[in-house]
Amino acid sequence: MVAIDPTLLTNIFLIGLSGTLVCLAVHFIPVGGAPAAMAQATGIGTGTVELAAGSGLVGLITASYMYAYEPLADIPLVMAAGAMGSMVMLASTMFAGSLIYAYGVAVPFASAQVKKDPITGDRQDLYISKGTQGQGIPTICFVSGVVGAALGGAGGGLIYFVLMDLYKPLLSMTSAFAVAGVFTMGVMYVNSVIPSYGVGGTIEGVHDPKFRRVVGKDVITSFFVSILCGLLAVLIAGGMSV
Amino acid sequence: MVLDLTMSMAVLALLGALATIAGCLEDLESDVGSQSNPNSQVQLAPQMGFLHRIFNKAISGEPISNGMSAVIGGTVTTVLLSQKFYPLTAIVIGAFIGAIILGIFATTSYAGRVASQTRFKQPLYMDIMRYTTPTIIGHNFIMNFCLVAIAYIQFEVLGYPFTIPFLALIWGISVGAIGSSVGDVHYGGEREFQNREFGCGLNTALSGRIVRKAESGLRNSIDNVWFCAKFGGPATGIALGLTVFFSSWPTTLFGYTWTAIGIGVLIVAVLTIMNRLIELNVRHAYGPYKEEKNEKEAKA
Repeated sequence: MVAIDPTLLTNIFLIGLSGTLVCLAVHFIPVGGAPAAMAQATGIGTGTVELAAGSGLVGLITASYMYAYEPLADIPLVMAAGAMGSMVMLASTMFAGSLIYAYGVAVPFASAQVKKDPITGDRQDLYISKGTQGQGIPTICFVSGVVGAALGGAGGGLIYFVLMDLYKPLLSMTSAFAVAGVFTMGVMYVNSVIPSYGVGGTIEGVHDPKFRRVVGKDVITSFFVSILCGLLAVLIAGGMSV
Repeated sequence: MVLDLTMSMAVLALLGALATIAGCLEDLESDVGSQSNPNSQVQLAPQMGFLHRIFNKAISGEPISNGMSAVIGGTVTTVLLSQKFYPLTAIVIGAFIGAIILGIFATTSYAGRVASQTRFKQPLYMDIMRYTTPTIIGHNFIMNFCLVAIAYIQFEVLGYPFTIPFLALIWGISVGAIGSSVGDVHYGGEREFQNREFGCGLNTALSGRIVRKAESGLRNSIDNVWFCAKFGGPATGIALGLTVFFSSWPTTLFGYTWTAIGIGVLIVAVLTIMNRLIELNVRHAYGPYKEEKNEKEAKA
């Protein structure tokens, strides 16, 4: 009878929604994978799951701190705290990465997916070195990454808020924090892996044609998988109350 | 807020410093053990006929292996703290055990990876294993120490809701993600292909053709970490230091309000502008690599 309570149904829906936000976020983050680590592709030189989860988890820390120390914190404020933490992490990472691309490897930043940067209007195709798929982190990729991190952090904050409301009456505070934190991390990982299949390991961001091609399918898949995660979170809570 | 503003800022500065050291040492550990994406070239080299003396571990993705060693460190520290150990002693012992376990994984991983390349005649150098493994453990120990210390301060002093092992796990995963995104590019994009002209770009046709000769003799992983410590490591440290400092600085100064969130967004905007300045600078310095078609025609 647990699942038919309207509040619980709302909670499941919100977890589904937040998981979808995390999945959507991954598509915005310019991830170049192994080729980018050798400056042979545009974007950040690591995998989608690593980066999305890494930035989302920093957002989780800031969101949880906000939740713990601001009794009046509502959902938007906790989500914004998560978004801020994630954005700071990803912006710092991309900035330091740019330092390496610029002064360590010495390559100009260029996107292989667009002729001109939609934000700055700079020509991209002339700056792609021979035998590569672009390199570095041009402004459009940086901005797209920051937007993605904000979505991911906000999604993480939302899951955490919902789960804390769910577990707080059933567990001691320390245990509720731990269970909600670990479950949030799990939902983030699940929703970071789903888009990896769609984007095939690399994507430049919102301007990449791949974005429009796969984002719809990935988001729908992620919504249903996250609903399943939400259902699991509620079932676990049912076990706690016994 | 648990502490007053001055103490909060002092603690935040300490966290930033610890994070900077942790970030730097994490990247150097991944360079000396050759982990993450650039290791694909080390793995590929023997298949292209380029036998080498570089350590080859890649236990897993960098965030996961660092998260593993950090969470082991955090768990052991928590157990020792519950047994009334002095905090510094507990953190040191915890960090050491986490590093030793990573070292065990490093040896099995190196031996296993090289064994799988028998058909390409890649030898397993015992001297490389003997003196590179303690270097890996040493670097990882310092990273673990810093991360567990950050987790301890956040939990015990600042009153973060998560426990020490969980905070250590999150920071371990984050530092791995940052190291993999920042410092590894210096190792993979520059050090492994250092015989190419600086600023010419890296053709994919060069895959696997890594540099095998050192400044003196044959290159090994200790030579690589010496080079990456000059730029890749410190840049990774800066990234993690900025992350730890600036993710908490707005709320420390302005409390848990929308103003703090606005300041966070402002910091991100400043970083975006700085990235743009680097982009402009580097576009002037290198490239363009191709000429525009009508320009070519005009010249003809």
